Amino acid sequence: MDHDELDFDAALRRARLTVPAERRAAMLEAYRNMQAMLKVLDDPLAYEDEPAVLPRLGPGAGR
Amino acid sequence: MNPRDPLPTLAEASRRIAAGELSPVALTEAALARAAALNDTLCAFIEITAERARAAARRAEREIAGGRRRGPLHGIPYGLKDIYDAAGLRTTAHSRLLLDNVAAADAATTARLEAAGMVLIGKLATHEFATGGPAWDLPFPPARNPWNPAHFTGGSSSGSGAAVAAGILPLAMGSDTGGSIRLPAAYCGIAGLKPTYGRVSRRGVAPLAYSLDTCGPLAATVEDCALALQVLAGHDPRDPGSADLPVPDYRAALRQGVAGLRIGYARRFNEEAEVEAEQARALDATAQTLAKLGAEIVEVALPPLAQFNAVMRTISPSEAFAIHQRDLRERPEMYARVTRERLMLGAFVTGAQYVQAQRLRRILTAKVETLFESCDVLLTAAIPGPPPLLEETDTTPFRRQQPITGVFNATGQPALAQPCGFAANGLPLSAQFVGRAFDEATVLRVGHAYEQAAGWAAKRPAVATLPE
Repeated sequence: MDHDELDFDAALRRARLTVPAERRAAMLEAYRNMQAMLKVLDDPLAYEDEPAVLPRLGPGAGR
Repeated sequence: MNPRDPLPTLAEASRRIAAGELSPVALTEAALARAAALNDTLCAFIEITAERARAAARRAEREIAGGRRRGPLHGIPYGLKDIYDAAGLRTTAHSRLLLDNVAAADAATTARLEAAGMVLIGKLATHEFATGGPAWDLPFPPARNPWNPAHFTGGSSSGSGAAVAAGILPLAMGSDTGGSIRLPAAYCGIAGLKPTYGRVSRRGVAPLAYSLDTCGPLAATVEDCALALQVLAGHDPRDPGSADLPVPDYRAALRQGVAGLRIGYARRFNEEAEVEAEQARALDATAQTLAKLGAEIVEVALPPLAQFNAVMRTISPSEAFAIHQRDLRERPEMYARVTRERLMLGAFVTGAQYVQAQRLRRILTAKVETLFESCDVLLTAAIPGPPPLLEETDTTPFRRQQPITGVFNATGQPALAQPCGFAANGLPLSAQFVGRAFDEATVLRVGHAYEQAAGWAAKRPAVATLPE
C-alpha cells in the first residue's frame, strides 16, 4: 500500500464510510485525482488572506 | 391554444392574457396535454399535478375576468425542480430517501410564484439531491434532451431544461451550486439565470452546499428570465444567506440596448477550459454581434481555471457531505451509485484544505471583481461543446472536467446562459454572460440585446411540435 491508499482508508474509517469491494479501485482513483487537483491549495497565502464571511458581495466586496 | 404547438413565452402569454386573447384554463390544459404526450420520451416530470393545476387555472381565470389581475405572471403555468417545496406535494429530490417526504409549506420562491397567480403543472426531474449525475438506479429515470432524446440535458435541473425547451412550460425553477441552472439551459438551448448569491431566497429548497447554492429561473428567453426574477428576487430574513438590497426593474433594463457597454471577452479562459472549436467560433461570433450593436469588446484574463477548480472541488463536496454524512453511513444503498460516490468525496477533504479553499475563493472573487472596474459584463463559454450522449455522460466518482460555470458559483456573481448557435449535429451551443454582484439587470440587458439580434430563441426542437 502506498501513502495515498493508507490515507484513503484512514479517511473512510474516520468518516465511518464503507466502499463495496467492486468500487474500491474507482474510489481510490478518485481520491488520488482529487488530492492531485487540491495541491493548488498548498500554495502559501499571506496572513491577511482570510476567508472572512463568504461569499462577501456588494460594493467594495472582496477588497 | 393548440396543444400541438409549444406554449408561448412568458412575455407572450402575459400579453395575450392581459388582452383577453388567451385563457389561463386553455393554457393550462395545453401544458397538461403536452406534459402527458411528451413525458414518456423526455422523462421531464416526476409528478404532474393536473387537478391542482386545473383548480388554480380556473381561479386565475375568474380573478382576471373580475378585474383582479395580480400581475404579468397571473394564470401562466410553471414547474418546480423537485427539490423545491410546494405545500401538500412530495419533494423527493429524485431520491428514494425522500419518497414519502410531503412538504408542509411552500418554499419562499414557490410562495412568491403562487402569490403572483402562476399555475403549478408539476415537479420536475433533477439529479438526485441536485448532485451526482444521470442515474438509472433511482425510482425515476433521468430526463432526456428535447433536441435529441439520446443526448444529455445537462444537470442538475434536468427536467426544468427539458420541459421548457420542449414547450411544455414557459418557466421552470432550477437551482445552481456549480452550474445546475446554466448547464441544462445551455444543453437544452434555452436561457437560465443564476442570480447573485443571496438575491433569491433558498428557504424551502433542499440544500446541496450552503455557501454556493442559488435558486433561479429557466425560460425560453432572457426577457422571460427577467419577468420571473422580478417576482423571485427580494430579501428573506428566514434565509441566512439572503441579501437585503433593493430590487430594480429588470424589464425596464432590457430596453436600454448595449451601446456604450464594455464586454470583457474571456477568450483565453475558454481555451483553458478546453472549449471545442465550434463552440469557440460561436462565442467569437457572439462577441462580433455585440460589437455591431454598439458594445465595446475587450479581451480579459480570468485567474487560472485550476484555482477555481480546486476551490469548487473542496468546498462543494465538503458542504454536501456535511448534509448527507449520516445517510451515507447508515443507508448508503438508498442513493444512486453516482450520487453516493460523489457525496463521499467530501470525506476526503481536511479541515485545513477547506479553510485554504475559502481563503483562495476570496482572492479569486476580488480578482474577478477587479475586472468589472473596466468592463460591465463578461462573456465566456457555459459549456465546452454540444451535449454528449446520455449513455456516455461521465458518471465516474471524480469527473474529469469540472463545469466552467462553477467559476461564478465560487465568486457568487450573477451569470446567464443562453443559446449562441448550433453545432453541426444540430445540438445547442451556449454563451455565458456574467455581471457585477447584484447587477442582474445589466446581465439581462446584454443577454436580451444579443438574443434579439441573433434570433436563436425562436428555434425549437422538432419534438416540441406534436403530430396531428
